[in-house]
Formats: sequence, C-alpha cells, structure tokens
Amino acid sequence: MRKITNHVEELFKDIPDSEEKQTIQQEILQNLEEKVYDLMEHGKEEEDAINKAIVEFGHIDEIKNELGVRTPDENSWQKKKKEKTKIDLGFSICGSALIIGLMLFINMYYSPDTIWFVYPTFAVLWWPLAMFYRWLKWK
Amino acid sequence: MIKSDIIRGHLEPIILRLIYENDQYGYEISKQISLRTDNRFQIKEATLYAVFQRLEKKDLIESYYGSVSHGRKRKYYRITTLGKAYLKESAREWQETKEIIDLFMEGLE
Repeated sequence: MRKITNHVEELFKDIPDSEEKQTIQQEILQNLEEKVYDLMEHGKEEEDAINKAIVEFGHIDEIKNELGVRTPDENSWQKKKKEKTKIDLGFSICGSALIIGLMLFINMYYSPDTIWFVYPTFAVLWWPLAMFYRWLKWK
Repeated sequence: MIKSDIIRGHLEPIILRLIYENDQYGYEISKQISLRTDNRFQIKEATLYAVFQRLEKKDLIESYYGSVSHGRKRKYYRITTLGKAYLKESAREWQETKEIIDLFMEGLE
C-alpha cells in the first residue's frame, strides 16, 4: 500500500497546500486503497491491483482545475493584458492628437476669427484620459 | 469502452443520480457506473473527484464522514434539495435533447 500513498503524494506535490487539498488527497487515497483491496479480493495480486488502480486513475489536471490552481498561464495572461492597456493608451493619444489637429486646422483655415476648436478638444480628451487611468490600474 | 464527449458532458447528472438513490462514496460510484453500463463506460477517478468538487461547490451535494474501512474513514456524499431539483431539470432537458437528436439519427439504413 505504500506505493499507492507515494503515488498520490507525487500527484499532489505541485498543488499548493490547503485544507481543501488535504481533504481531497485523503479521500482519493482512501478510495484508491479500497479499490486495490477490492481488486485483490477478486483474485488479483497486490502488485497488479495497485498498478491497475494507478493506471485507471486518469489525469490529475482535472482536479487541479477544480482546486483553482493557478497555472503559469495566469501570469503571462496578466502580462499580456498590461501590454494591451499600454498599446490602447498609445493609440488613444495618437488618435486624439490627430482629431484635435484636424479640428485646429479647420478652425484656423475656415474661421480664424472664432476660436471654437477647444470645445471638441475637451470632448476628445476623455478618450486618452480614460485609457491613461486604465493603464495606471494595471501598472 | 465508449469515449463519448456526450457522456462526459452529462457526468454531473449521472453521478447525482447515483447519490440520489443512496448516499455513496467515491469508489462505490465508479464501481456502480462500470457495473450498470456493463463496463461500456468507466469513469476515471480523477474525473470523478473533479465532478465531486464541482457539485459540492454548487451545493448540489454535501459530504460527511462515515464508516471506517481498512483504517481510513470513507467520505460519503448525500444529495441536497437543490441537487434533486437540478437532477430533475437535467433529466427533463436530456429527454428533450434526445428527442431532437433522434429526429436526425433514426431511420437510417
């Protein structure tokens, strides 16, 4: 039976310790041992029974998912998100600069006597401002 | 042994049904599934415990410690009222799904 205990410990070794992990590990160990005893009662050698139980166990990843183990993907996902907010910020600054420039040009070219381009400028500035704070949040 | 995604998609009601009939512990459930399907479908332990976790998180089942076997306590599961409602709904849904799929799968040569 030591082999089963060792095997279960090996399966769970990457999972960070928690009460939940302990309970589920105990439960799996109990049930695997029960399976081994049951197989032995039906005439299997201990060695065979243990191997069969281990092979039929399946993949531990399914349980890892349920225990909410953070895979390394999580970090890279965050990095990507941070990268994206940076690009969004850059885009918003360039975009709003172009719009303001266009407004300025139209203003100066067609009606140089009244300065109205500041109004759309204020409206457009919300865009980079929002992106700036989103970027700050992720920084 | 069938490796159907359709079965995999319905493991929750399958396991709920077994717990609905009797309070069960892990190994008993996997044995029952093999037995009732005449070994045409076997559940992997890893899958089974993942489903237990999911069902318990959704409050569809609850667990308690029962009799001792070979020096360790068995962890039993019982179905909750919510679980029974969920099971009923799943059964109804399956019936409807089956009727729809049958429309296209039956009567072929």
